[in-house]
Amino acid sequence: MNALIIFTLLTCLMLTGMPVSISLGLTVLSFLFLFTQVPLESVALKLFTGIEKFEIMAIPFFILAGNFLTHGGVARRMIRFASSIVGHWYGGLGLSGVLACALFAAISGSSPATVVAIGSILLPAMVKAGFPRSFGAGVITTSGALGILIPPSIVMVMYSVATNTSVGALFMAGVVPGIGLAIVLGGVTYYRARKFDYPRLPKASFGERLKAFRESAWGLLLIVIVMGGIYSGMFTPTEAAAMSAVYAFFVAVFVYKDLGFKDVPRVLLNSANMSAMLLYIITNAVLFSFIMTNENIPQALADWMLGHGLGVITFLLACNIILLLAGNFMEPSSIVLIFAPILFPVAIKLGIDPVHFGIIMVVNMEVGMCHPPVGLNLYVASGITKMGITELTVAVWPWLLSMLGYLVLVTYWPGLSIWFPKWLGIM
Amino acid sequence: MKILDHLEEWIITFLIAAATLIIFAAVVHRYAASNITLPVIQDWLLTINLSWAQELTIIMFVWMAKFGAAYGVRTGIHVGVDVLINRMTGHTRAKFIVFGLLAGATFTGVVATLGAHFVWENGAHYAYLHGLGLPLGDVPEGPTTPDLEWPTWMVYSAIPLGSSLMCFRFLQVAVAFIRTGELPHHDHGHVDGIEEEELPPPDLNPFEMDDNLHAHDLKFHHRHPRKVGADDTVEGDKP
Repeated sequence: MNALIIFTLLTCLMLTGMPVSISLGLTVLSFLFLFTQVPLESVALKLFTGIEKFEIMAIPFFILAGNFLTHGGVARRMIRFASSIVGHWYGGLGLSGVLACALFAAISGSSPATVVAIGSILLPAMVKAGFPRSFGAGVITTSGALGILIPPSIVMVMYSVATNTSVGALFMAGVVPGIGLAIVLGGVTYYRARKFDYPRLPKASFGERLKAFRESAWGLLLIVIVMGGIYSGMFTPTEAAAMSAVYAFFVAVFVYKDLGFKDVPRVLLNSANMSAMLLYIITNAVLFSFIMTNENIPQALADWMLGHGLGVITFLLACNIILLLAGNFMEPSSIVLIFAPILFPVAIKLGIDPVHFGIIMVVNMEVGMCHPPVGLNLYVASGITKMGITELTVAVWPWLLSMLGYLVLVTYWPGLSIWFPKWLGIM
Repeated sequence: MKILDHLEEWIITFLIAAATLIIFAAVVHRYAASNITLPVIQDWLLTINLSWAQELTIIMFVWMAKFGAAYGVRTGIHVGVDVLINRMTGHTRAKFIVFGLLAGATFTGVVATLGAHFVWENGAHYAYLHGLGLPLGDVPEGPTTPDLEWPTWMVYSAIPLGSSLMCFRFLQVAVAFIRTGELPHHDHGHVDGIEEEELPPPDLNPFEMDDNLHAHDLKFHHRHPRKVGADDTVEGDKP
């Protein structure tokens, strides 16, 4: 009953279009005030302690690093490196786009940022090279989604905050599925390029490849710093994020010089703006999950599922459907923060690995980012290509469909996600 | 008002930059102190204790988050669910937008009050009486933070201060909306840096695209004239 009240209240408030964070907070306040005896003062304290965790601080740092890199020439050099390697195959620049997105995803924690960074350089180049605009837009919109699957990933930090799962393990678990998804998207690109006979680039010589590698080495080194640092235990994920922010600043301002000193305050302010918005959702989502636990809702849901003999397969199917539906209305951070605390306890009861469940959620969010009505990647790509959303949706579907297929694979094959961190021994 | 705007921007810019540098310094220090074996330097490094860095970063980020959230209201960055209300006609939508803004003001106002009460009970009252040299009675001194040993009421005053500012911003945006029919938006028409068309501008923000996460205000269709009706125009559907 209480669950019904809470969710009706939340849905109604959200549908009025007020910020997600405010609707979460108001739901909690009014529920506590009207239906319980929990003192409201505890809410105020929770608003501070909610984000008083060092792990959460990885989010602003990764956003900051991403913003330095998005503007910097890192993306351009990565594209050049990628096209020197795969450019001579069918779909040349398209395949390079997938590879460049995968590489950029390994230093950036956000999908829209990946689309902006790679897309704003590659898409005009693809149109110039004779690719149809919709092909390029389809490749970049979907490959950009790799940003949150290949570590580092802001959505994974959100999941770990909501469920107390290790960020390090989640990051490592994202590696293999991320590479797998890149291969799938590359495969679709190759197949379609071959079918429609799109242009290919001349094969790069070994010397050219080496040169491109050397030029992009500054960006690629960041992958080593973040992943190596976390894996070797040199840094905690938050420290790795701070290191990568400072490193990205150094590369953008002093090495590649794409950013002047006068731009730095704007990058800082913009990153602060974006992180504050996400942190505000987290604070209120912490409040929300506090009343969920207080009302024993996840527990009740788990008992109900088990009582009806619903097994892992049905549960995961239901999760995917719920999350995909939610992806129609909200952006990934809010979805993870609202749904993870509810679904996670059930998943644990059913014996699903916490890390595996996290990867399922992340791949789900990726799909949600690439289709309307709400799809951050789509809107970013629409901003770059000047294509309408409807047209983009049509352009995206071959990749989106293969992504959905991949989601099923990730969902029902735990080994794909948890083998690598287990092998590394951090799980 | 201009001063308040700039102050807000300076505070959050400073906090994010400073927090990053502190963590960076703490990590570098940790490795330098254990790996540099030059006697004098190592001794000197070992005398510096940076264990407070983590706590200070968290405090800075919470302050940044609270004031940044207020700044976010002014820039219109907070994401919502607007699939329903963007399908409404202008007049109805306007009512819902005002309702949403006032709800925001109510929530932040309530939180500011609760937070102020909490801060007052946890040491601010004591500090106030102590500072004026008044009799303390049985007012508690309030706890301090573990590493820095700062009084928690000072740290926690981020909640009442940030929330009050946010409440003010919501009201400000609501008044502006009622007057002009416009919500804060990022105008991509003249972002600087667009001339070198290769790179996105440094302050491009994916959450500020015209996505379906923010309510459209009443002038939306004037800014995006070709989007009226169908949004499947092929080229140049942005000014």
